[in-house]
Amino acid sequence: MSADSRIERLASVLVDYSTDVQPGQLVLIESSPLAAPLVLAVARRVMDAGAHPQTRIAVDGLTETLLAHGTDAQLEWVNPARVEDYERADVRMVFEAEFNTRSLSSIDPERLALAGRARERLRDRYLERAAAGELRWVITLFPTYSAAQDAEMSLAQYEEFVYGAGRLDEKDPVGEWRRFGEDLTRLAEWLDTKSEVRVISNGTDLTVGVEGRTWIPCDGKENFPDGEVFTGPVETSLEGEIHFSFPASFQGRMVEDIRLRFKGGEVVEAHAARGQDFLDAMLAMDDGARRAGEFAFGMNEAIQEFTRSTLFDEKIGGTMHLALGKAYPESGGQNQSALHWDLVCDLRSGSEVFVDGELVYRDGRFLPGTY
Amino acid sequence: MTDPRVERLGELVVNYSLELSEGQVLRIDGLEIGAPLALATYRAALGVGAHPYTNLSLDGLLELMLETGSEEQLAYISPVQALEIESIDALVTIWSEANTRSLTRVDPGKHSRYIAAHRTLSNRRWERIASGEMRWCGTLHPTLAHAQDADMSLEDYEAFVFAACHSDKENPAAHWSEVAESLGARAEELGSVRELRIVGPDTDLRLGVEGRTWLAADGKYNMPDGEVFTSPRETETAGEIRYSFPAIFQGREVEDIRLRFEGGRVVSAEAARGEEYLRSLLDMDDGARVLGEVAFGLNYEIDRFTRNILFDEKIGGTMHLALGAAFAQAGGENSSGLHWDMICDLREEGEVYADGELVWKAGEFLSEPVVHA
Repeated sequence: MSADSRIERLASVLVDYSTDVQPGQLVLIESSPLAAPLVLAVARRVMDAGAHPQTRIAVDGLTETLLAHGTDAQLEWVNPARVEDYERADVRMVFEAEFNTRSLSSIDPERLALAGRARERLRDRYLERAAAGELRWVITLFPTYSAAQDAEMSLAQYEEFVYGAGRLDEKDPVGEWRRFGEDLTRLAEWLDTKSEVRVISNGTDLTVGVEGRTWIPCDGKENFPDGEVFTGPVETSLEGEIHFSFPASFQGRMVEDIRLRFKGGEVVEAHAARGQDFLDAMLAMDDGARRAGEFAFGMNEAIQEFTRSTLFDEKIGGTMHLALGKAYPESGGQNQSALHWDLVCDLRSGSEVFVDGELVYRDGRFLPGTY
Repeated sequence: MTDPRVERLGELVVNYSLELSEGQVLRIDGLEIGAPLALATYRAALGVGAHPYTNLSLDGLLELMLETGSEEQLAYISPVQALEIESIDALVTIWSEANTRSLTRVDPGKHSRYIAAHRTLSNRRWERIASGEMRWCGTLHPTLAHAQDADMSLEDYEAFVFAACHSDKENPAAHWSEVAESLGARAEELGSVRELRIVGPDTDLRLGVEGRTWLAADGKYNMPDGEVFTSPRETETAGEIRYSFPAIFQGREVEDIRLRFEGGRVVSAEAARGEEYLRSLLDMDDGARVLGEVAFGLNYEIDRFTRNILFDEKIGGTMHLALGAAFAQAGGENSSGLHWDMICDLREEGEVYADGELVWKAGEFLSEPVVHA
């Protein structure tokens, strides 16, 4: 048994609640070796459920080696075994457990984009199977020194933060997530009836069309921890400008103080105080990279701090986020791209959100009685 | 900080052992503790324009399977593994362990059933290797666990491993090319032998090798390497043998094994320690009681027993005989989920006769092989 019972509880939530593993299923577990205690705890739980765990363990430095030294043909090579993984798996679990979140900082963004485009169909296939109900997936994070450092915390403090955000300190984490899920479902159902969202904040006045799209309540099934509602906005609808007060991290890069102007759904102007080249390279990845594939409200009140990890930052209670690139098919979004880059905007002070012209949200909270 | 000896070992395996070329797909297997060598191998494979990828497991996962797996789970082969074994061009196995005894207490019957169930994969792998569709090399990254088994410090053990591979020197491939030439000549010479007789303490064993091909293990399939081997005729082994070194399989040690063969099959088996495990392996399947390999260990840089078959079977001056799966490329026909090498130390008083003629004494062949240009 693991010394840390929170890991056992996390394993139980991931297997029994998030992905609801069934006997005979093929369960992929993708992780770095730093999350070994979680991998073993989850594998044990998967075995107990009568299913078949298959691990895919990353090697520190390998991606960096490929991106730094590989030829274009090597960067674009897609391993047939990974194609088969996503074709055959019933469940896919991903544990983020970085050795060094900045190990790709010096890689030419063009090469990152090349590798990203080559793997687009791989990602699209598992999202397609997920949308069709053939595959369940969940991404979580296992606390490492690297992530704690990014969060400007000690490892012990960061563990408290991570497990707290997952309600794993509670007696009945699954019960907590079900109750939270019910609230998010009510919000999503209410938003489903709406056509337009307008966000006003410091440096931000953005209008987003959502008519006919489906809002998805995120209750710990595909991300853990979780706590957001999102949809795929109407591709041509975004108008106005948005200022992302939090730095945006992506593939080990930090881009600070991003300002985007949208016209007809497309980014027509993009500025960053730091990381302009990287921002430009990502926007130029393909046609869909200049359009939003996701619009969402972060609703997890147990996450209050920005920690430079998208998994947590996008759920901070009182924020919204917008992802450039690929839309999730189940939201009704059509946008296609190799990119899916979540950018988070803090709405906790001096902000208002109007839905179909009605003020429903102020300073990070929906107004009482809204939904 | 990368160790140049590890980098050179990765390059040696990719360039010399596997002769990997542009566009080929290489899978690197092992446990995570061998990651430094996996990464060096990956880097070397990228360097030749190949498509490498790693397939590393974690210590504890196999134990979990063997402890908690149902019969259905033990026998499960994922469709992904089945596809991979059909499609990869090359495979490196890094045998490094975090704890060589982690499986000591698992149910041996269950372990045997797990191995037997995965035979379709291992058989297919050997088939593709034998037919030249795929290359394979097994090697090792030194770890604390292996150092401990060898009764050495990690630093000393690293020196031992890299010396045995010659990766502690510039251009180890040149050394292995010379070894290949010398072992090739020895193998050719043994090819004309019909019967081998091994004589030593409590040992007098006759093996039929007529018509079988002797192969030079010159660093292509194992690194380090240094042996000549064949698969003996399946029905002719007769007599008895006593193994002075402990025989280890899947982390379990069996001491002082004595086997008696009749008509090619083990008819009695005793061990001073681990006899029950020995018997369970002999009963794994029909081929487990038949020899699949006989070999001379000829790497004289490996001069001590370190409880690791990769090294022990090549100790200069020893012979080893493996129960179970034979090598098709040697003309062997025995099929089994088992391939268990047991080493016999002949350095003190061993003798080997080839068709009645004394050819080996006290750990050395009596004459140099003639190298045919």
